[in-house]
Amino acid sequence: MRYETVIGLEVHVELATDSKIFCSCANRSGDEQNSHVCPACCGMPGMLPVTNKRAVDLGMTAGMMLNCHINRTTTFDKKSYYYPDLPGSYQTTQWFSPVAVNGTVRIETENGPKDIRVKQIHMEEDAGKLVHDTLSNTTLVDFNRTSVPLIEIVSQPDLSSADEVVAYLERLRSLLRFAKVSECRMELGTMRCDVNLSIRPEGSDKLGVRTEMKNMNSISAIRRAIAYEVDRHIDAIENGTEELVQETRRWDDEKGMSFAMRNKETAGDYRYFPDPNVMPIVIDDEWYGRIQGTLPPFPEVKKQQLIDQGLTEYDADLLTQSRVLCDCYDAAFAASGLAKECANWIATNCLSILKKNGQTMDDLEIDGDRLGQLVKLVGDGVVSNANAKKILEVMFEEDVDPKAYAEANDMIVSNDTDAVMDVIRGIVAANEKDANDFRGGNEKAINPLFGKCMKELKGNCAPQQLREMLIACIMEG
Amino acid sequence: MSLLINKAQETAGKPVVLEDLVLTTAMPTTGGSKMLDGYMSLFDAEVVAKLEAAGYGIAGKANIGEFGFDLMGETSYFGACENEAGALVSAASQLLSASEAQAVVGLDVNGVQRRAAAQAGQVCVKPTYGTVSRFGTIAVVCSGEAVCVSANTAAEAQDVLSAIAGHDDKDGTSLPQAVCEKVKTPAELAHKKIALAKSLTAAADEAVKSCIDAFVAFAQDAGFTVEEIDDALLVAARPAWNVLMSSELCNNVSRFDGVKYGYRSANAETIDDLYTNSRTEAFGELLKNTILFGSEMLSEENYMPRYDKSLRMRRVVVEEFARLFGEYDAVLMPACSKMAYTPAEVAADKFLCFKENMFTAPASIAGLPAVVAGGVQLVGPAFSDAALLALAGQFDAASKTPVACEASEEVR
Amino acid sequence: MNKEILVRLEKLNQLRLTEEQEAETLAFFAEREADMAIVDAVDTQEVERMVHVMPLENVLREDRAIEPFEREALQAGAPAAEDGYWQVPRTVD
Repeated sequence: MRYETVIGLEVHVELATDSKIFCSCANRSGDEQNSHVCPACCGMPGMLPVTNKRAVDLGMTAGMMLNCHINRTTTFDKKSYYYPDLPGSYQTTQWFSPVAVNGTVRIETENGPKDIRVKQIHMEEDAGKLVHDTLSNTTLVDFNRTSVPLIEIVSQPDLSSADEVVAYLERLRSLLRFAKVSECRMELGTMRCDVNLSIRPEGSDKLGVRTEMKNMNSISAIRRAIAYEVDRHIDAIENGTEELVQETRRWDDEKGMSFAMRNKETAGDYRYFPDPNVMPIVIDDEWYGRIQGTLPPFPEVKKQQLIDQGLTEYDADLLTQSRVLCDCYDAAFAASGLAKECANWIATNCLSILKKNGQTMDDLEIDGDRLGQLVKLVGDGVVSNANAKKILEVMFEEDVDPKAYAEANDMIVSNDTDAVMDVIRGIVAANEKDANDFRGGNEKAINPLFGKCMKELKGNCAPQQLREMLIACIMEG
Repeated sequence: MSLLINKAQETAGKPVVLEDLVLTTAMPTTGGSKMLDGYMSLFDAEVVAKLEAAGYGIAGKANIGEFGFDLMGETSYFGACENEAGALVSAASQLLSASEAQAVVGLDVNGVQRRAAAQAGQVCVKPTYGTVSRFGTIAVVCSGEAVCVSANTAAEAQDVLSAIAGHDDKDGTSLPQAVCEKVKTPAELAHKKIALAKSLTAAADEAVKSCIDAFVAFAQDAGFTVEEIDDALLVAARPAWNVLMSSELCNNVSRFDGVKYGYRSANAETIDDLYTNSRTEAFGELLKNTILFGSEMLSEENYMPRYDKSLRMRRVVVEEFARLFGEYDAVLMPACSKMAYTPAEVAADKFLCFKENMFTAPASIAGLPAVVAGGVQLVGPAFSDAALLALAGQFDAASKTPVACEASEEVR
Repeated sequence: MNKEILVRLEKLNQLRLTEEQEAETLAFFAEREADMAIVDAVDTQEVERMVHVMPLENVLREDRAIEPFEREALQAGAPAAEDGYWQVPRTVD
């Protein structure tokens, strides 16, 4: 028998705020355990929640990017269960009136475009992290992540293959990154995905037994987990290897298997009720309009704009992977009018400095307008390419004006051709052997002469022009 | 037993005692529970800062029942308090009687301070919800509890209320400053009419009724008309309040699990053992019953018919009060059914606090100000706190009704 | 309400009652249930639920991080802590 797979996703995305959702601790991952915690996010009595406005802004932004209806009155509720990563033994979430409902996300499949329905997006606080200490056989609790703002994007069971799941996740990632809702980095846990999966005979409209899988932290792990789980379900149905039950399972990527969880969370009776300490959030037209005004174009629309400006598909694709890069490019282009050059400076020079600093594209902080000025200085032949790279390195450290910096540091290309020719003559005279080799047909022999000239000129000469003058000087001598 | 759980080394300023749901850095805060025996807060409650800024000094912490929702402190891990006559009393009212404090500031979770003030012939004000910050109080029933003030006189209670009322950014339910200011100055009681809650009064004994009678006489002398009203909807507040209180309590005390602070059982081999044994060993019986009941009221099956129904009932009570305040300045009712509870009575019926709170639940569920003086309770519209206190103060000073005095003599 | 539900409730709330306490709790539930009759008698079909007694909305704060609390202070009262972590028996998931 042939089967079809029915998949719905619950995607958790950490919001890119500076502080947590209900207390003012920093929202920062990767730091030392329990270094961003306070009595509130440690579950101590006496603290009261006050909601982070930016988190609500970003929740709305996500809803709008995914074509959702925004609930104009949205409220928070308490969900109760015991687990050591949940310091209050309850999670504040949105059960009764989530921020956004009824959206769609269009993905490309081999059969053409397909709309995946989004049931809802709700805001909630994240839980802490548990570290299992095998030596002492204990579990260690870190509350840094506790109360970090999350959105949970719940899809309808509209996905029917691992490919579609991946396409959906990549689409979500692209949209949310472009709207600066989140960095959506699965490897850092800022994007996490639970897979609800069942199978049924092809053409049947009856849903099979559904299992929920957690703990996949990469796209490839999700592919493996789906393949494994589909096989397990088919095996159970066809060969009776086991009885399928509705349950939550944990994916173990090392073992390549999923295991039933006996987690408190699976108990299910969460006893939701409206949080008396959090007042309703009422989104008026002004607020709604303000968020709408901040929405970026969809990444593919922006990409086409960039291609129309003359960029290659590759560069346009790269720049639209990050709103930060894209904004920087837009500013640089506006300042210089040099589309390809600006894209090139960002895609190669900027990214390589970021990489050297161990940073990602979203960490780019330089002023796009000033980058444009720098690119223009090179384009106009005022600063050499080599010196411009040096200036760029400085711009990563401090916010300097490129022209002023070039002037102050003797990095302006000399227009005095006589002076340049004097330098060239001196170098050629002092290196007769290389000049003779060149005259004798060894083209490589010009390189040391060129380097010496450039050094003497402190790089303040257009390379092509220098080369031409050098050749002329050698040949006439 | 112990009145003061902790005593300050020295107190600068007019002494105020805090009930032990109010967090302090200078002394432990226990909530009356073994779970928090010796618990040190890392921050002071907002009311502590406000009291100190107004020249009060924290003299110590008064014993209370476990998480403050019982009848008269009988569930405290540190022992119940009895007076010489063998009646249960609150530590706070005993301290006031002995003039150890000018006022006691506590958290009115389920009316114990109002009952205690009525029985001791003292004054208690549970202010309008949102006018005094709850930041730094151990949360039990967030939707209805309020920081309250007890004192020997209405004037002293007003002074302390004026010191602690005000907006606080750290409490998301705190009202704007301009609104909070209203509880500091009495507005005119314009209707010159007071409603007497008929069946609530009928539910009290003769001693309490005579206090009510005395107030009626006083009010009439002062130019008020007193009319008996049908209070069926106010009576119906209690079961709804019990549901809301129990469910919120269940959720709020779930943070006490033996993981982060407080009591952890020695038998904690597994995480479930840690949770279950810590909570089973550290929590008292009334608390356990209340947690289980509150949990069940939030189950999928009961949420709509019980919890949601109680939230609707809250609106019914709020609207009923609003209707009454269209005609009356305040509703007069008892704060308790009798002038003393004995330990034997409470031992025989451990759940009395879920019944005696019929008098305190209406104001609690509706977040309205309630003032107790001379053995009676006045509930007024939002922000009428000062006006109620002024009227109650006149009553208290002018009459000190013979019956009320006798009653409090008796229990001493 | 019955014993079976009660046992489930105990588990859900991490409590364990003795037989005697369970009997008492069942009596407590019965009493509360009986109380509800007067609430049930009030028709609330057209009444909107009221979570908050005060009509505040949009109580929000700006997204600004503050200095964290000192970890040592936060863990001073911890029943068990190790290397800056709170410590519990090994959880199984």
